[in-house]
Amino acid sequence: MNGYCRPRSVSEAVAILAANSGAMVIAGGTDLVIDRRLGRADPQAPLVDVTGIDGLRDVHWDGDELHLGATATVREIESDPAVIVRASALAEAARVLGSVQIRNMATLGGNLCTASPAAEMAPPLMVHDAVVAIQGPDGERRWAVADFATGPRTTILASGEILTNVRLRTPAHSGSCYLRQTVRWAMDLAGVGVAAWVLTDGTGREAAVQEARVALGAVAPTAVLVPGLEALLAGAPPTTERLGAVSAAASAACKPISDTRGTAEHRRHVAGVLAARALSIAHARAAGLWSGGLAPVNGRESAVASSGARA
Amino acid sequence: MRSDYAVVGKRIPKLDAPDKVTGRTVYADDLKMSGLLTGAIKRSPHPHARILSVDVSAAEALPGVYAVIHAGNVTQRPFGFGHDNIPLKDRVARCVGDEVAAVAAVDAATAQRALDLIRVDYELLPAVDDPFEALQPGAPRIHDELDIEGNVSMEWNFQTGDLAEAEQRSAVIVSGSYSSPQAAPAPIETHVVIAGFDADGDLEVISPVHMVFMYRKELADCLGLDWRRITVRQPPVGGSFGGKIDIDAHDFIAVMLARAARRPVKLAMSREEEFTGTRTRQPIHFRLRTGAAADGTLLFRHAEVVSDNGAYNAWGSHALLVAMNTVTSMYRVGTSRLAAKVVYTNKNYGGSVRGFGNPQATFAVEQQMEELADVLGMDPMDLRLKNANRPGDVTPQGLEITSCGLSECLETVRRKSGWDQRRGRMRRQHRGLGAAAYVHVGGGARIYGSDGCGAMIKIDDSGRVALISGSSELGQGSETALAMIVAETLGVPLEAVSVSHDDTDVKPWDVGVHASRTTFVAGNAARMAAAKARDELLEGAAEVLDRPARSLTIRDGVISVPGEPTATLRYEKAVRRRLLREGSSIIMTSAFYDPPTQRQDENYVGNISASYGFGAHVAEIEVDPDTGMVRVLGLWAAHDVGRAINPMSCEGQIEGGAVMGVGLALSEELPVEDGRFPAPNLHDYGMPTTMDAPPIDVTLIETADELGPFGAKGIGEGGIILPPAAIANAVADAVGVRPRSYPIRPWKLRRWIETGERSHVDKHPHPVPDENAR
Repeated sequence: MNGYCRPRSVSEAVAILAANSGAMVIAGGTDLVIDRRLGRADPQAPLVDVTGIDGLRDVHWDGDELHLGATATVREIESDPAVIVRASALAEAARVLGSVQIRNMATLGGNLCTASPAAEMAPPLMVHDAVVAIQGPDGERRWAVADFATGPRTTILASGEILTNVRLRTPAHSGSCYLRQTVRWAMDLAGVGVAAWVLTDGTGREAAVQEARVALGAVAPTAVLVPGLEALLAGAPPTTERLGAVSAAASAACKPISDTRGTAEHRRHVAGVLAARALSIAHARAAGLWSGGLAPVNGRESAVASSGARA
Repeated sequence: MRSDYAVVGKRIPKLDAPDKVTGRTVYADDLKMSGLLTGAIKRSPHPHARILSVDVSAAEALPGVYAVIHAGNVTQRPFGFGHDNIPLKDRVARCVGDEVAAVAAVDAATAQRALDLIRVDYELLPAVDDPFEALQPGAPRIHDELDIEGNVSMEWNFQTGDLAEAEQRSAVIVSGSYSSPQAAPAPIETHVVIAGFDADGDLEVISPVHMVFMYRKELADCLGLDWRRITVRQPPVGGSFGGKIDIDAHDFIAVMLARAARRPVKLAMSREEEFTGTRTRQPIHFRLRTGAAADGTLLFRHAEVVSDNGAYNAWGSHALLVAMNTVTSMYRVGTSRLAAKVVYTNKNYGGSVRGFGNPQATFAVEQQMEELADVLGMDPMDLRLKNANRPGDVTPQGLEITSCGLSECLETVRRKSGWDQRRGRMRRQHRGLGAAAYVHVGGGARIYGSDGCGAMIKIDDSGRVALISGSSELGQGSETALAMIVAETLGVPLEAVSVSHDDTDVKPWDVGVHASRTTFVAGNAARMAAAKARDELLEGAAEVLDRPARSLTIRDGVISVPGEPTATLRYEKAVRRRLLREGSSIIMTSAFYDPPTQRQDENYVGNISASYGFGAHVAEIEVDPDTGMVRVLGLWAAHDVGRAINPMSCEGQIEGGAVMGVGLALSEELPVEDGRFPAPNLHDYGMPTTMDAPPIDVTLIETADELGPFGAKGIGEGGIILPPAAIANAVADAVGVRPRSYPIRPWKLRRWIETGERSHVDKHPHPVPDENAR
């Protein structure tokens, strides 16, 4: 191939990649173009543009299963009314990724394949226990999204393989939430990003937790699931005391660095704070107590509307 | 105040805005010309290193390369205050980004390849990026060629009154340290310069610089050129915020490249170079003490200041000029003392950025006002009003306060923000209100022998009025304001007036756009030239109407005789009358306005500005104490603008400045690691977005300055000065801790909350429980 091609099918793309070992997959290009300019990716590498592949951009529901094509844009996910209600964490992560212009270009698959430690879409998919489908020369394989990234900017994708879709289930009485801490209120990478998902045994304030997951972004080389939550939460509503234990577990699961978006100590602390908030909101959603809409980005009720200054 | 103006005081959208927002404006980087080469600079990757050798042979051999220059093959002289800088570094690189060599090539890719082929051998030297470490004995010497003590580039010392006695008399003294970060002006348009010689050897430089005449002189001085043979053309400026005042090494380098290549050369900075190779806002560290009597009368202010200069003296070395005014002259202080050291460090050096030292100084001074008030049990607004500057005051530094709406500004934001009902009462929701006020030069700032600006008016046979101003438009709205001043003075419609200011061959001298001076100084020059043109117009009309010129008036382009409705004449006819007759003449007038001010003497005393601007903000914020995130919920801003020539433009300046100030307060910082910016890009540099911008309520206070054109005074910088201080005070109100530095990033605020960072009260009016001292 020359510098660029735009296959029409997954099999064609896989064949091209198999035949050109240095070729790179491009979709929205919002990471790759910058990486090539900065020399983090080979600027000469030929590009296989997967946005022309039929069906790879589909977002659809099959009962309670959500099917997300790899080239679905972040903006499409953010704007899907059913995603907002049934996979709220995903919509909440999507709406804070970059700017609207970036989200119109950036794809779900691209965000996962870049595998930034702060990848916005990874924690919500992990708490939703999503499964990725990978197509390669030897056919399709499926993998838990939690094991997809193996380190900063590395994944399980082997040479010639592409990510084709991500699927997750949203059973009744489940709810999720994604929160983050940033320096500015938009167009910023997360200093800490936290997703939570809860399955309850019914509705109402006393609805007991059956299953719960919390995933953390930007506090370790990859997004990580907080272990041991079942033991802390199952069988009862998330009381203040239990949420405190969740905070401690989340903080303990961090392996953060210090950089321009936060100190390691701060990240560890805030991961705990946001884990409790996100879990509490996820529970409210699962238990039918949430009055709708997306949560404030840091999970704290904001008060802009009551300010006296003229808009 | 007069309000029957035809043009002044109207809300006029910026005249240059439609072209800018529709992409029609041609900026320097858009210019195409035959034979234009692309220049590029080889920069030091090291914060401090001896340059042992520069091998350019491979680069010179590359096809498409027209010139490769370095200190060994050019003629150049030192530049900068104290001549501590040289365009192409000859011996030592003192910061990352220092210019070591440069190429001119047929295109950008070739230029880059040529840069890669240049071999520079360095001997690494110990570097220091912290000014306090640089002051230690044994610290690496950054300029061993200069006759200076340690790394102290300059000192600024001022004192008046008896400090010991004032301390003795004070019932309360608060003290504390207040620091600011390295920040960047970060305009949309990066620095660009195009230089080329014609066949006769005359030099033309095209650059969005806005001190063009000083720029021309510095080019000539450094490069040994005849400054009579240099033309500087200034295309529209794509934003500056002060960053394009300084002449940078790359300006000289472009000229040297053009000379070596015998072709015109363009040097355009990449965004990374804009952060690392052009000037920044210098961090300033204040150790401040303020004392007051029990009734709140301020008795003294004492500041010990360390300004983190970076590697060389650009304009940033002089930011203390303005910071000092705030320490000595904000409110009636009486005794004051400032001792400042400007300290060299191995990092990017400070330039002139909007506010020029004042946001940093006000962050210290205005936090301390609220700290004092809290200790005294006074409302901070009452404390400010009690000590407010008033018309007729002469401050210890000799600043003559004439028009002064400070009290009105304070009362306005107090009322509109609901201060009396809400401050100190929202802590349960972690919300707070904080205030700050400023004094800033508003009628020029004499930093040079002349603080003047010229203006010329030409009226042609169509009636088009051309103002040729010495000044520049850099987005601040001066073009519109100047056109309005001319239209008002002449009595012609605004659409008849054009403004030109882009060519040193054509325009009259001006010191440059800085210090919020353009509306005041260039505006007065324009008004004076327009008044002369009006006299000539009326003389022409007098012949036609057969009435004495002094009995005529002109408004909306119609010359008339009061009381005689039929005796009228369009002004264009008066112009043509003069032109199309025997012994014809055209209308062309000029004026030069230099404000009646003084250069400060060796003791820093002198009335540096013909007028002073004042303003006050109240910020309302909400803190998330568990994550440390701060949201600004609202900002009330009242500014004494003297007279709003164009209220829409004044509001725009204030709002834009305020949002820039919110960025300083909460997010903007160029972190330095081992002398490097790890992330010199707009992704990591925390410039605020619209989502960070609060609703801003602007009130323009008009005090009709005696010397300002139609009473106007400067407002270009006012908006940015206050948000860091006001937001810090609001944080203190919300969560009871005292921010010691900005930006107030989440992890810093959380740490202050955890450690309970409080005011330091050196002297109490009477023993008080600790929780009263916030």
